[in-house]
Amino acid sequence: MKKKLTHIAVITILAVSGAAVFFNLKVMSLYKDIPRGISRYFISFGLQDTGSLNLVTAILYDYRAFDSLGESTVIFGAVSGIVLILSRKMLPVSSHGLSFIVKRTLGIMTPFIALFSIYVITHGHLSPGGGFQGGVILAAISIIFSIVYGSAFDYKRYSPQMKTTMETTGALMFISIGVLGIFFEGFFLDNLNFLGGKAGTLISAGSIPIINIGIGLKVGAGLAIIFYSMIQKTFREEL
Amino acid sequence: MIILECMLLFFLVMSATMAVIFEKELISIIFLSIFSIILTAIYLIYRAADVALAEAVIGAGLNTAIFMSAISQIRKGKS
Repeated sequence: MKKKLTHIAVITILAVSGAAVFFNLKVMSLYKDIPRGISRYFISFGLQDTGSLNLVTAILYDYRAFDSLGESTVIFGAVSGIVLILSRKMLPVSSHGLSFIVKRTLGIMTPFIALFSIYVITHGHLSPGGGFQGGVILAAISIIFSIVYGSAFDYKRYSPQMKTTMETTGALMFISIGVLGIFFEGFFLDNLNFLGGKAGTLISAGSIPIINIGIGLKVGAGLAIIFYSMIQKTFREEL
Repeated sequence: MIILECMLLFFLVMSATMAVIFEKELISIIFLSIFSIILTAIYLIYRAADVALAEAVIGAGLNTAIFMSAISQIRKGKS
């Protein structure tokens, strides 16, 4: 009886909130005719201002770069908290990993995954992707190592100290680009336009590729640290 | 194109429902992964390639691995 009441309450709340969202969206479509100044500005002048073909990256790392700085600070806080709670000591923990076939197959595949992540990071201003997505693919390599080959292998190849160094390097790269913007352009995190080449080539768009590389290093190393400190306890009893 | 979109939306709702109603955690995680892959296809149809890449990488890749490690930890604690 009580369970049924809970079910009815949950269904009612879901229906009411769904209806609220639906009517909200319906009301919002009234505002369609008002000229959307800022988005139209981004679409028409984004390529001129930043030299980046991918407008999403241009907005993320040029116009709204300060928001991206906030996001990476959030990731840094999450990594710090998880490491503080979950892993008391950074000890190598061994496990046997998976079977021979899986190990050899992923031994062939892993370099290509790394190549793809580097491609996604460095071509963030030309094609879909960017620092965040490529960084998560970098973290996937570390996850493959610790699941397939055992976490001792991951510890030997990429030690937690090295991951910490990579994360700090990424954050410092981002912030130093921002400080350089004060000196050369006058504003914090402004695009360093004198670095850029012709739009559409790999070395273009000013400081956006450098910020992409910094974010990629930071996100990849941070998520790898999170996964390592979560899996550390898991395999301890298998020894 | 609209038929494909409707089919994908239907399967999206189906996989989300499946992820909720199953009791076993492993099946729920697998259905969440399927949910992310279908959502990636829908984002591609709506021409949001950046969001699609992020969803594929985080939803189907990272979330599954982290949930799996959490599940194995829980089972070890029980036995």
